[in-house]
Amino acid sequence: MRVLNIILNGKAVTAREGQTILELAQENGVFIPTLCHSPALEPAAMCRLCTVQVIEGGRAKFVTACNFPLRRDAEIRTDSPEVRHGRKLIIELLMARCPSSPELQRLAVEYEADLTRFSSLNDDCVVCGLCTRACEAVTGKTLSLAGRGTAIHVSTAFAKISDFCIGCGACVQICPVQKISMEDVDGERHILLHGKIVSQVKLPRCKSCGKYFGPVIDLEKVMDRMGEHLIPPPNADTCPECSRHNLAVKLGKRYFEQYGVFREEGQADAG
Amino acid sequence: MSGTACVCQEIECREIEIDYNQLDKIIRDDYGGNKETMIMMMQAIQRVYRFLPEAALKYLSQVIDVPLTKIYEVATFYASFSLEPKGKHILTICTGTACHLRGSGGMVRHIAERMGIEPGKTTQDLKLTLETVNCVGACAVAPVAVMDEKYYPKATIATLNDFMDRLDAE
Repeated sequence: MRVLNIILNGKAVTAREGQTILELAQENGVFIPTLCHSPALEPAAMCRLCTVQVIEGGRAKFVTACNFPLRRDAEIRTDSPEVRHGRKLIIELLMARCPSSPELQRLAVEYEADLTRFSSLNDDCVVCGLCTRACEAVTGKTLSLAGRGTAIHVSTAFAKISDFCIGCGACVQICPVQKISMEDVDGERHILLHGKIVSQVKLPRCKSCGKYFGPVIDLEKVMDRMGEHLIPPPNADTCPECSRHNLAVKLGKRYFEQYGVFREEGQADAG
Repeated sequence: MSGTACVCQEIECREIEIDYNQLDKIIRDDYGGNKETMIMMMQAIQRVYRFLPEAALKYLSQVIDVPLTKIYEVATFYASFSLEPKGKHILTICTGTACHLRGSGGMVRHIAERMGIEPGKTTQDLKLTLETVNCVGACAVAPVAVMDEKYYPKATIATLNDFMDRLDAE
């Protein structure tokens, strides 16, 4: 692999070919603010906060650090006055859209953003696309971005309650502004987008204790991958707590039958 | 005007008859049933129904194994796709800079008033959809009106009135 010589904020460092600027910066302890980045997902360059200046072959340009792969020797400035100026505008625009994000509020103070410049939308969604990318990574069947330009928003198909959601909660967990929530009501898991129900997933009821649990995420597919096609997944109708309990009782019973006595762990095998 | 078709906003009302044999022909025979040609399939479906019916997209999603939500994303991204029923005739008025200066704004307002619809909307009887476009690239002959894909240079309110009279006579 080719090694590139990069000047990162005035310091000479080496980078691997194809590495993104954000990865290089993180390796070298340089902080670049991001909202839409997750190391587990493909970069989408939605929030534009990570914009940095790259000087390649004497030409300077602004690129998003999260998805710009390094191919040539270059100089990178992540915190120059030009970069800070551009980033301030991005923060002002994002703050107008989503004033309640603590991360944005912190950045607004740091970059001295003018919060009166753009009229506030109070939408509270930064349209980072993390939820849609997380959904795509899990099943890809429920959330996607709809519309374009200023009308872009997160939506289910036809803005209806989705038939395909498995209730895994990946979107809830990854949302940086907590605009997606999840609640279990009467044996159903509800996913709420901006307070509106977008999916209702039936939860299985434990046959041991009678409590709702789950959801049972695509266990059939897991069995398929294990080469056990069409074999019903074991213990799918028992909650994890009861499963553990039942297994412990079963093993304990067998042990008792074999040795006639329970022994404390570490005790010598006296016979 | 005799309006029988229902264009109210209730989803139930928008249900229309879908010919699945015809859909199959479009998806499998004409485009090979591969997800790579999804957009062309959607265009072909739109040519049949003049919009993209939800049931047709659901079927498409199953046949080419693309999540419905992805198809919805594409359908809402491109302005040429419509999820609302469109009129039998489509009148597009250019509101680009040159056309605007030569009075296309007045033409849009006139048609909107005469037909009782906002730009981008369709009349109750599904006869006409009024659209605006930012530039058709014919600024030298501004203002430009496009009626059913035929371009009319140096259009006037009189030109448009002729269309509307013909429409009313239909």
